[in-house]
Amino acid sequence: VKSPYWLCSSLVVLSLLPSAASAGEPTLLEWAKRRVQDGLVKPLANQSGRRFSRERPPPAERRVRVTRETATSDSKGGKFLTFAIDVRYGTDWQEDDVVGCVYAGTGSLFVKNGDEYRPAAFLLGKKADPVAGVCEAAPPARS
Amino acid sequence: MNEVPGCRGAFTLTPRPPNLSFVSFVKAQVTRVSELPRRVFLLVMLGGAALITRTSLEYFDFEAMPPFALEKMPLRFEAFWFASLRVHVASALLAFPLCLLLMTRGLQRRPALHRLLGRMAGILVLVGIVPSGAVLAFEAKGGAVVTAGFLLSGAIVGWFMVQGVLAARRRELVSHRRAMQHVVGQMSVAVTSRALMIAFDMAGMIPERAYVIALWLPVVASFVVVELLSRRSVVSLRLPLRSSERMRREVSLLAVFVPRRPVAASVRRFGR
Repeated sequence: VKSPYWLCSSLVVLSLLPSAASAGEPTLLEWAKRRVQDGLVKPLANQSGRRFSRERPPPAERRVRVTRETATSDSKGGKFLTFAIDVRYGTDWQEDDVVGCVYAGTGSLFVKNGDEYRPAAFLLGKKADPVAGVCEAAPPARS
Repeated sequence: MNEVPGCRGAFTLTPRPPNLSFVSFVKAQVTRVSELPRRVFLLVMLGGAALITRTSLEYFDFEAMPPFALEKMPLRFEAFWFASLRVHVASALLAFPLCLLLMTRGLQRRPALHRLLGRMAGILVLVGIVPSGAVLAFEAKGGAVVTAGFLLSGAIVGWFMVQGVLAARRRELVSHRRAMQHVVGQMSVAVTSRALMIAFDMAGMIPERAYVIALWLPVVASFVVVELLSRRSVVSLRLPLRSSERMRREVSLLAVFVPRRPVAASVRRFGR
């Protein structure tokens, strides 16, 4: 009589175990957000101060949004998530000030400049040429 | 004695020398005080030029991408734009302090040196700053309004530099001074607009709006201020006391204010 009850209980407990194990690890979404925060937002904040120049003054605040919650594969098989950085001047938030992608395996960051994507170091003042094929979803395979 | 120890300089009132009358002494002090805004302006502009120089040196690091350039990317003619930027910055970093020095009385009292440095400044402005600035204006952030602002400022600089040089060649020193004040006035926009941008940013204004206002306001204000100053100085020169004082200090102005008549004609009139 008791065996079906225990069987069901065990199944319920077992089904909960993987989620309990993964609770300590960040999800892909959280990981991507943290990677952009550490790899781009923090260096930009450290780098930018108010200077006697015609360049745009540094924003009061930056926030990261992961714009696509599931990883997308590019033509070389690399999986990436797209993100956007919004900036605040005064009380106004300006969305999509920076748009780019972060690669799940390597953590490489790319930012969009015009129609092309360049390594994120470009935004930190380093010369970086556009990289072809990154941050672009692979065309659907023909059956 | 009205001097603070350790503060003797351009802005302190000097003690009256024993051989100078009280009226002459007061007149000299009034002249000194009236020079104060001009001196403050020149010092502030020199300070601003030094700050701009410090932030502009990164444009000559060919391996780096300065933030100002970064905002413009991608550019249609990247190499041409960077070349124009470097020519503009290098010319302006030399020409602006040079023009400020040329505005000082010390250099104006040395005509040969003033002429030599003036020619150098004129070449830098007309060959370097104005053409390269026109190229940069078309890629200015803020669109057509900002492009128009930069082009207008450049046109004022170019026009008045040519007019100033022609006036100097004709020995029309009042016109020369007015023209060169316009040139320096527009060059001072480099400092005042940056200062305004910082002030607007601190006030929380969005950068796009701040950029437009911080450009147009100094361009128009500089033009108006120079026009008002040049009119006021012409009026004040008609006053005999100020006129004689100025003539004493700038002997060359004599040619402008002393009417030149043929000796024969005046003798003929005398004979009637």
